[in-house]
Amino acid sequence: MKLKILFSTLSIVAFLAAPIGNAVADDSKARAIMEKVDARDDGDNQVSDMEMILIDKRGKKRIRKIRSYTKDFGEDSYRIMFFLKPADVKNTAFLTYDYDDPDRDDDQWLYLPALKKSKRISTSDKSGSFMGSDFTYSDMTSRDLEDYDFTFKKEMEVNGHKVWVIESIPRTKKVIKETGYTKGMAFVRQDNYVVIRSISWVKKGKKLKFMDMKGLKLIDGIWTPTEIHMTTKKGRKTEHKTILKFSNIKFNQNLDKNMFTVRRLEKGL
Amino acid sequence: MATTQMSQSGSLKQRIEKGFHDFGLFVFDNKLKILIFMLVVIASLFSQLSKITIDTSSEGFLHEDDPILKVYNDFREQFGRDELIMLAIKTPDVFTPEFLTKLKNLHQELEDNVPYLDEVNSLINARNTRGEGDNLIVEDLFENWPKTPQELEEKKQLILSNKLYKNLYISEDSKFTTIVISSVVYSPSSNEENIDSGFDDSEIQADNNQAEPEFLTDAENSEMVRKVHSIADKYKTDDFVIYSAGSPVVVDAIKKSMQKDMQTSTKFALLTIALVLLVLFRRASGVLLPLLVVILTLLSTFSLMGATGTALKLPTQILPSFLLAVGVAASVHLLSIFYNKFNDIGNKREAIGFALGHSGLAIAMTSLTTAAGLLSFSMSEVAPVADLGVFSASGVLVSLLYTLILLPALIALIPLKQKHDKRTMSRTRFMDNILLGFAHLSTNYSKQIVGISAVIFFVAFFGLLKITFFHDPLKWMPENWEARQATELLDVKMKGTNVIEVVVDTGKENGLYDPTIIRALDKLHGTMDQLSVDGYDVGKTMSFIDVLKETNRALHENRDEFYTPPDNRDLIAQELLLFENSGSDDLEDLVDSQFSKARFSIKTPWMDAAGNTAFIHKIEDEFKQTLNDNATASATGMGSLFGRTMNAAINSTKVSYIAAAVVITIMMIMLLGSVKLGLVSMVPNLLPIVISLSIMGYFHMPLDMFTMLIGSIAMGLVVDDTIHFLHNFKRYYLKYNDVNKAVEDTLLSTGRAIFVTTVVLSLGFFIFMTADMANVIRFGLITGTTIILALLSDLLLAPALMKIMYERDKA
Repeated sequence: MKLKILFSTLSIVAFLAAPIGNAVADDSKARAIMEKVDARDDGDNQVSDMEMILIDKRGKKRIRKIRSYTKDFGEDSYRIMFFLKPADVKNTAFLTYDYDDPDRDDDQWLYLPALKKSKRISTSDKSGSFMGSDFTYSDMTSRDLEDYDFTFKKEMEVNGHKVWVIESIPRTKKVIKETGYTKGMAFVRQDNYVVIRSISWVKKGKKLKFMDMKGLKLIDGIWTPTEIHMTTKKGRKTEHKTILKFSNIKFNQNLDKNMFTVRRLEKGL
Repeated sequence: MATTQMSQSGSLKQRIEKGFHDFGLFVFDNKLKILIFMLVVIASLFSQLSKITIDTSSEGFLHEDDPILKVYNDFREQFGRDELIMLAIKTPDVFTPEFLTKLKNLHQELEDNVPYLDEVNSLINARNTRGEGDNLIVEDLFENWPKTPQELEEKKQLILSNKLYKNLYISEDSKFTTIVISSVVYSPSSNEENIDSGFDDSEIQADNNQAEPEFLTDAENSEMVRKVHSIADKYKTDDFVIYSAGSPVVVDAIKKSMQKDMQTSTKFALLTIALVLLVLFRRASGVLLPLLVVILTLLSTFSLMGATGTALKLPTQILPSFLLAVGVAASVHLLSIFYNKFNDIGNKREAIGFALGHSGLAIAMTSLTTAAGLLSFSMSEVAPVADLGVFSASGVLVSLLYTLILLPALIALIPLKQKHDKRTMSRTRFMDNILLGFAHLSTNYSKQIVGISAVIFFVAFFGLLKITFFHDPLKWMPENWEARQATELLDVKMKGTNVIEVVVDTGKENGLYDPTIIRALDKLHGTMDQLSVDGYDVGKTMSFIDVLKETNRALHENRDEFYTPPDNRDLIAQELLLFENSGSDDLEDLVDSQFSKARFSIKTPWMDAAGNTAFIHKIEDEFKQTLNDNATASATGMGSLFGRTMNAAINSTKVSYIAAAVVITIMMIMLLGSVKLGLVSMVPNLLPIVISLSIMGYFHMPLDMFTMLIGSIAMGLVVDDTIHFLHNFKRYYLKYNDVNKAVEDTLLSTGRAIFVTTVVLSLGFFIFMTADMANVIRFGLITGTTIILALLSDLLLAPALMKIMYERDKA
């Protein structure tokens, strides 16, 4: 698995981005666009505060606040997250190493303040929910363009911006199993190559997930999402929705490797 | 007194009969116009026929707005469908590489191919949370396939030591393992073509304006079950025996049987009717015309159901043969008079007028009383029984219209020959002798007959008190049916397939983090595991407490003493967050997103409605006691629907029997123009029904979804014979002023038609005895018997009562 997590920038983009492979006989125009999406600078060192609003089918909300630090080390990506809210889980923290090597599972540790213990978590399932949200771990992860066949569908306008609509179909069952998706549709802005909308076909339960980038800002020359909505629908019915809001986004902070250690995890913010 | 009333009503009656006579002539004169008009009406009705659907689901028994069903639907909306298909696989040893590989392949194939699937769960992907040193491992049980005998042995020990799997995925003797298949809750409404509309710029509140999604339909359920079975069949071998159970399977099996039974009973009914008509009339037109009328009636009624979106459900399956039998009776009454007159005078126009004038009123009245008996079900709390009431009554009225309009128009159109058949004459004489015998018996021994009837009534009354209600779809099936056998086997081997779902509601966000609640729920696991009501034992309990326990243990190096829920609010919250973030989405099936409500599942053996109700009461009591005021608990699931269905059936039986009796009595009083006569006429109507119901009481046949129908249906039908008898008796009594002579003439004229229709109707019901399902068989037997008893009652008791009443009036 190529897991180049760009979490805080959320190149959510799902399945997009990551090292460029040999284009196969799919749609060369579509692939060229996706290569540009992938090549776009999304920063390799970032601090931000994330507010996660979980909305269930009855419209009830839960709010979580998380501070997150991310840094790329070569092709690998390290991330540490501290829960700020709600009070019950304050200081609960997660540390993740995402390795570029497809044969190497991620390393993940967590710290439970009530237990005063950190534990290493082993799990290889990327299609599971991230923190109970509509995002999966695979949504947070960049994927290899070689894993997909791309097809150019159409051009259209979204909120006044011209976009290309590109369909992606996983080439192998393995990719479907890892991501949980059987098909994707990306809406790529023509002026900056940001995927501002996407639709994902979820294998389990035949659901659809709609990603809508509601806020996008140019920070330090990098197009950075500030608000993303992800809605899971079954037929016409909304099953669940997650809103992510980012603030205090700072690129190129002085983060060294000590930031991404178990000791730092236990020490807290 | 009675005579003056009778002459008054007689003159009104005469005017009505004249009206029917003139109507007959009108139909004859305008036959083509009328036929074309009827054809247009029928054709427009038939355009709706293709919309008819079948629904045998357990929730289909209840009205959509039933409060118990609403609770159940709320539950399904929150936590997913509780009805599961359970494949149990029997093998000498689960823990062999060959078996496990095969299990994995089956699991995979199901996951890839079954429609409307939510999840497939088995040992292969069972949740396995454990601690190894400083590692917390959350994975599927067979995430890493065992490669050596030693790894396999480790896996075996892991499985056998995990309480979570016992009786869920593996039996206590390790000879059975299960694959549990759950479906989605809602019917998929694919609107792929307009996919962009999925982005709505409004917030989630706008979703309230959406069309209510439909729950998975019965047809989709069947499609799913059948796909599961076709995949499973490929894997069956002697050491890989697959049993299929669970309510979706039971529902599908019942549906298959219902479709088969309906076809058989309809075919038999048509065949029987054709034969009786042939023997009775010995004319092609005498067979074909009534058949045409009843078939059109049946198809029109189905069209009405299609047009109103009413599905065929278990009780409504009796519609076809019922309507055929009832409809043909009306045709028989009309045609027998018509053919007699036509053979006499050779003038079709006059014969049609005469037949309608003679029998039109009686046919109309009998149809109305039958419809009234059936309509008494329309208020039923059991949805399909209410449907049956509405549509069988509509069918009877449609049949009346076709008999009075279409049938005469058709007779008018086709060429007919006069007939004087000598064999008919000799057969008639034999028949007449029997009927005369009844006439003499009833008038000569009237007091004795009434006396014996009174004794029978008294004895039967005590039988009524012994009647019990019983609702259990599984027991309707023959014992050798796969769905029943599998369910009963799994009750023993896996401790059941029935699940009672308790929703524990703390009423506040994060209420489930409260250690008091957690302790109470943990205690309830212990209480529930030991619970036994009326010999039924709880097989397994499941809730998010299991998740907490296994997470807690895994966080503590897998030490068993930590297989308890944490006792600290923050730790509870943090462990749940950890689990939520571990890649497993099991939590969403166990708690709501606010952590205010929890699902507590209690697996039990299959139980009948009363068993379920008792169990649910006991469970709710225990929850109430243990939770105190910290949270509320309400139980739902299939079992609560069964219980509700049975109570609804009990209520509606009472209501419908009383309504039918009252309405029909009033109609009899109006028809006979005398309160006293009307009341007395109900005696020969009610006696056969009381006897039949008492037979059920004495022979321990329960009242259920079908047998509860007997009383009102029989009342509506039985009264027809009485109407025909009294209608004619009055006519002849006015003529002769002599009871004995009036009874003789009545039995000789209308007695024959009563006899023939009794044969047709009782056969129409006895046909149901060829069905697979026990309750349908009982229904056919008892209703058929009631109709024969009604014949005896009208040939003996009715004349005897008239004799006593009129002789006393005279004196």
